[in-house]
Amino acid sequence: MLKFMRKKTVSVWKKDSRTLIAHGVLDDDIYGIELDVSVNIEDLRISAIEGKWNRWTTPECPRAIPELQRAVGFLIAEPDFSQKAHKVIGRKACRHFANLLLECSHSLREAALLGEWEDRKAAGEEARLGDITAEKAAPPPPPQSPPSAPRAAPVESAACPDEERGIDDKSRVLSADSPGLVIDLHVHTSPASPCSSVPVAEVIEEAKRIGLDGICLTDHNYVWTAPEVAALREEHGFLVLRGNEITTDQGDMLVFGLEEDIKGIIRLEELRKKVLQAGAFVIVAHPFRGFLTFGVGQLGLTPEKAMERSLFQHVDAVEVMNGKVTAKENQFAAEVASGLDLPVTGGSDAHEVSEVGVYATRFYETIRDEKDLIRALRGGNYVPLAYRKEKGF
Amino acid sequence: MANILTYSRNRCTCVEQVDENTLRATCTLQDTLTDAFVEILVGLPDLEIVDVRCEVKRTEQEPCKDPALSLAKVIGVRIGSGMLKIIKGLVAETTECKQLGFMVEECCHGVILSFTKDVLLVSSPRPTDQEEAREFYGKMVKENIRLYNRCAAFAPGSDLVRGVDPPK
Ligand SMILES: [Fe+2]
Repeated sequence: MLKFMRKKTVSVWKKDSRTLIAHGVLDDDIYGIELDVSVNIEDLRISAIEGKWNRWTTPECPRAIPELQRAVGFLIAEPDFSQKAHKVIGRKACRHFANLLLECSHSLREAALLGEWEDRKAAGEEARLGDITAEKAAPPPPPQSPPSAPRAAPVESAACPDEERGIDDKSRVLSADSPGLVIDLHVHTSPASPCSSVPVAEVIEEAKRIGLDGICLTDHNYVWTAPEVAALREEHGFLVLRGNEITTDQGDMLVFGLEEDIKGIIRLEELRKKVLQAGAFVIVAHPFRGFLTFGVGQLGLTPEKAMERSLFQHVDAVEVMNGKVTAKENQFAAEVASGLDLPVTGGSDAHEVSEVGVYATRFYETIRDEKDLIRALRGGNYVPLAYRKEKGF
Repeated sequence: MANILTYSRNRCTCVEQVDENTLRATCTLQDTLTDAFVEILVGLPDLEIVDVRCEVKRTEQEPCKDPALSLAKVIGVRIGSGMLKIIKGLVAETTECKQLGFMVEECCHGVILSFTKDVLLVSSPRPTDQEEAREFYGKMVKENIRLYNRCAAFAPGSDLVRGVDPPK
C-alpha cells in the first residue's frame, strides 16, 4: 500500500523582458506549500519571493513566511546556491520551503537556458540546446580548504620517538587514583570545517579555560600538518593533537594517525585498509545520529540487530558520547559497543565555542603526542565522560 | 504570449510498503527538458538502500544520456542523518548527471517523511487545540534538542521552545 506521496509542480513564465517568475506547489500527505519566485533574467538574482502555507504541522510553522525574504538577492546560478538555500531558508524558515525553492530555482535556470537558446536561434545563430546546457553547467564547487596562508607540505608526524624522550612503557600508566588525562577527541574549527564557526585559537583557549588536558582537531576530510599543530601547541601551551573526521559510505569516521588527505566519499573497507597500512586508529563517530529521532525511531531497531552492521567489523572503537546526538542515540551506541566488546570514547563534536568539552575521553595513560594517543587508544584504558556537566560548567 | 508558460515541471515521489522488511520509494520527474525515473528499495529496520534502478527517457544533458548509467554505488548507504553528503559524493563518482543523485535524495526524504506521517497519525494533537499542540511539539524539541533553532517554528522566541534550554 502507498505510505506517502509528495507532488511538486513548477510553472515558469516570462513576466517581461527582464523577469522570469516561477510558481511552485508542494503537496504531500503532511505539508501543502506554495511559492512565487521572481528572478532577473540577466544575472538570475532573486528579486522577490512570496510563500504560503496551505497545510502544516506545528502551530508556529507560519513563522517561516517572513523569513523567506532572506532569499532575496541570492544568485540561483551560483555553485553554492543550494547549500545557501538549505542553510538560510531551511534553517531560518523551513526545510520544506527550501526544498520547493530549490525546485523553483532549478526550473528557472532551465527556463533561462531555453530562453537563451530561443534568442540565439532568433539571432540566426546555429545553437544546439545541449551545447548551451553544457556551457552553462554550474562549475564545480570550490575546494573546501580554508583560504588562509599557504599550507606547509606534509612532513613527518609530530610524534617524537620514545627513545629520544627516554621513557619506558611502564611510566605511561597512571596510578588508579589518578584523575587521568581528559581529552576532547572530536572538535571542529573554522575555516577548516565549513560547518564550524570558531577559529582554532578560540577553541584551544576555551579548552584551557574549562580545564581540559587536550583536544584533537577532527575537521572534516582535512589534514592539519604537523608543523601547524606544533605551532599551535607552542603558542597556547596546550596539548593539541590531530585527527580527521572522514566521511565514508557508512557514515563519519574519526581517524587518528593517517596523514593522507582523503577527498570525496571513501568506502569504509578501503579506509580500513589505509588505516591498517598506516598503523592508524579509527573510531566510528555518532553511529546512530538521527536514527532514533521522531518517526524513524518507530522502526524497532534493536541493539542486537544493529550489532550485525558490517561497519562495526571495520572500526577499532565506537563514539558513545557525542555532543550532537540525543541521549537515547548515545545510549543505543553504548549498548551496541558493549555487545560487540568494542572500546568506547567521548567527544563534543564542537562546532561552537560553548560546545567544547561537552563530552570527552578520560585516559589513564600519559599522552604527550600523537604517538602516545594512538598507543593509548589501542590500549583501551579510557572511558568517555560528560566533562562539562561533571565540572559544573 | 506573456501568459504562455516557458517551462513546466512535475515531480512525484512515492513510498510504498512492499513487505514487512522492504519499502520501495520512487521519484518520477517530467519537465520541459527531462523525463527520468529513480527507484530505490530500502531494507528495514536498518533503512539501508538495498537496490536502485534509474531510467532517463528524455534529457538535454549529455552526462544523463549514458545508457549504461548506474547508481549502484548508493547500495549499502543508510537513510538518515548525513546521508545527503554521502549520496551526493557517491553519485558524483559515477556520473555528472546531478539530477539522478537529487532524485535518490528525494526518495530518501520520502522514506523519512513516511515515518513522520505514521507518528503524526497516532500521536498528533487535535489541530484545533493550540495548547495541546504546543505541549506536544515542545516535548518533541526537549527530547531531541537538535531541533532547537532548526527552523522558524523551533527558533528562539517561538512558543514551542518556551522554557526549553538552548543546547550548550
Ligand atoms: Fe564531527
